[in-house]
Amino acid sequence: MNLGRLSPKQLLEIDACTRCGDCLKLCPVYSQRGEEAINPRGKIRAMKKFIRSQHGLWAKIFGPKRLSEEQLKKFSDMVYRCTLCGECGLGCPVSIDSRNLWLALREVLVDQGYFPQQAGTLMTNVLREHNILGQENTWRTEWLESMRDVPEHRYQKERAEVVFFVGCVSAYFPMVYKVTQSFVEILNRANVDFTLLGAEEWCCGFPLIGAGMRTGAQELIQHNLEKVREKGAQRVVFACPSCYHTWHEEYNTELPLHHATQFIPELIREGKIQFREEKVRVTYHDPCDLGRGSGLYEPPREILRAMPGVELVEMADHAEHCKCCGGGGNLEMVDSELSAALAREKIKQIQATGTSTVVTACQQCVRTIMTTARREKIPIKAFSITEFVLKQMK
Amino acid sequence: MEKHVIFYMMFIPSVILFLGGMVLRLSIYLQGTVKGAEDATAGRKMLVLLGRAWGAFRARPVWYAKVLVQDVIFHRKLLRQSFYRWLAHTLLVFGFVATFAVDMVKGFTTGYLAEWSRSIPAFSFAHAFETGGVRPYLDFFLEFFSFLILVGCVLAMTRRFILRPSQLRTEEEDVVTLLFILFLEVSGFFIEAYRIAHPEVTAARVYMANFTPESANNACSFVGYVLSPFLRNITLNANLLWYLHVVPSLVWFVYIPHSKLLHIFTSSVTVFIDRSGGAAREGAGAAKTSA
Repeated sequence: MNLGRLSPKQLLEIDACTRCGDCLKLCPVYSQRGEEAINPRGKIRAMKKFIRSQHGLWAKIFGPKRLSEEQLKKFSDMVYRCTLCGECGLGCPVSIDSRNLWLALREVLVDQGYFPQQAGTLMTNVLREHNILGQENTWRTEWLESMRDVPEHRYQKERAEVVFFVGCVSAYFPMVYKVTQSFVEILNRANVDFTLLGAEEWCCGFPLIGAGMRTGAQELIQHNLEKVREKGAQRVVFACPSCYHTWHEEYNTELPLHHATQFIPELIREGKIQFREEKVRVTYHDPCDLGRGSGLYEPPREILRAMPGVELVEMADHAEHCKCCGGGGNLEMVDSELSAALAREKIKQIQATGTSTVVTACQQCVRTIMTTARREKIPIKAFSITEFVLKQMK
Repeated sequence: MEKHVIFYMMFIPSVILFLGGMVLRLSIYLQGTVKGAEDATAGRKMLVLLGRAWGAFRARPVWYAKVLVQDVIFHRKLLRQSFYRWLAHTLLVFGFVATFAVDMVKGFTTGYLAEWSRSIPAFSFAHAFETGGVRPYLDFFLEFFSFLILVGCVLAMTRRFILRPSQLRTEEEDVVTLLFILFLEVSGFFIEAYRIAHPEVTAARVYMANFTPESANNACSFVGYVLSPFLRNITLNANLLWYLHVVPSLVWFVYIPHSKLLHIFTSSVTVFIDRSGGAAREGAGAAKTSA
């Protein structure tokens, strides 16, 4: 087992876990499956056992034990059944940075050849076609076809002040085209000098990093950085929290990076966005990569508060305690049933607020919540914040 | 054979085994990849990490001292989660840290400085620690802090074995750790009580003699003092009692690197890294957004 995939800090974190079980109360996956091995404590315990069997005192005296295929397969099943929501780390009394630890464990498993088949397909798609679905990358702007008054340059200028990095999900899934279309419309109406990268935009690398295939992401990162540089942009904006988070954490750039929830308040303050009044009650769902991942809890709420007549009702678990919708960590790809079960829990929390409208700042959350709601005929509406802003604009 | 000699014959190998265990753990951690020193040897990685830690500490020593007290020793995060757990944990942590500190002062002053003062008069102040005015305080606080450990241990055992919250899973290691602590504390108080109940034990210097001179005010060792009347009519082998306390204490010490007790060190590091990383992340995030 190659421990080089982990940092000394992560190896230390494995020993720091006291098995107190505080993470159990927070883990959305454990609340559904109730299996000890699937919860954060179980995963750390298994990894600790592996490390000791390979490098511990007994291993030094009697030689390392061979890890059985069954053990590794079971471990892989558990490690990949995680939304990477990071709530476990937040509640950990010894402050284990669990989200990054799970990512590193996935890398260890990829090294050993124990990863879900779907992750292999994902890697092939991303490395070959540069998007998660393995479709032609030139189709990245298909969503423009259903927009009215698209200019000749199709929002792909030679140079612009702002680059809008769209991301794969809202570029390829028609259900969430509106996330992108709305943001483009907002930028347009606010006279922002922006451009898309179009077919030159490649996957940000997050799906690969999330699958434990970090090495493959480097080529994507370099490409995207170069393309943004070519546009002479002074900043990059995102509607996708995962792309935003990945750029923040993995891209070595001095360019200011803004999620839509940070950019829109600026436009509101400058008077470029004005809202009409409409009495409506909404709740807000914090996407994991935007909230716990990037610490942005207040900006989306600031936007909602700026809308006259909009009443924000918080869910029982909100902000840093917001429960994952089930759409994170490639879980949907590995275990769609589990992902749907988490979405059902989310929908229950939304309904408990007494409203049927949820606003969020992530296309994947919209997709996960709406797919389950439609399948189960639950009458709720999930809006991305860009869509909701456009709807409420004068 | 003189007790000090016997003690050091056990203590020195214990320290070597403890350090060996720690080095083994450290060698595992250093198999990890250090950003910016990916291909370095374990020794080099250690130097890089120590250099970074020192650099960070030097930049804001007061902040790190605050984190040590608030977050490592007095575990603020745990206090926000559960007062009961915080109390048990704090009594154990603070009890051990304080007992260790007082024991070191007591051992060093009465065991060494008082001896050396015969040839170096400058050390004559150490007699205050051996038989003078400081002595009762040393005895009292040593007893008091050990008592805190005992209370913490009982609270932890009550939670684990009686209250049994659903999130807890008790494994062999947890039982061993708690029983070890309980045994060390109870045996410590017991041998002290036996010494107080039997003045001949002190006179014969059965325990490490200069730690407990005949002139000591036994009431300061309040737990042992209270227990001592019950042991007056019981005669046991005082030597054996001493070994029954000291040997398990040393075994416990050697056991630390191979048990969950290792978190005493590892979780201190993770808490420091988390707090400093959090502060750095906030700064970096703000800089990236507003640059």
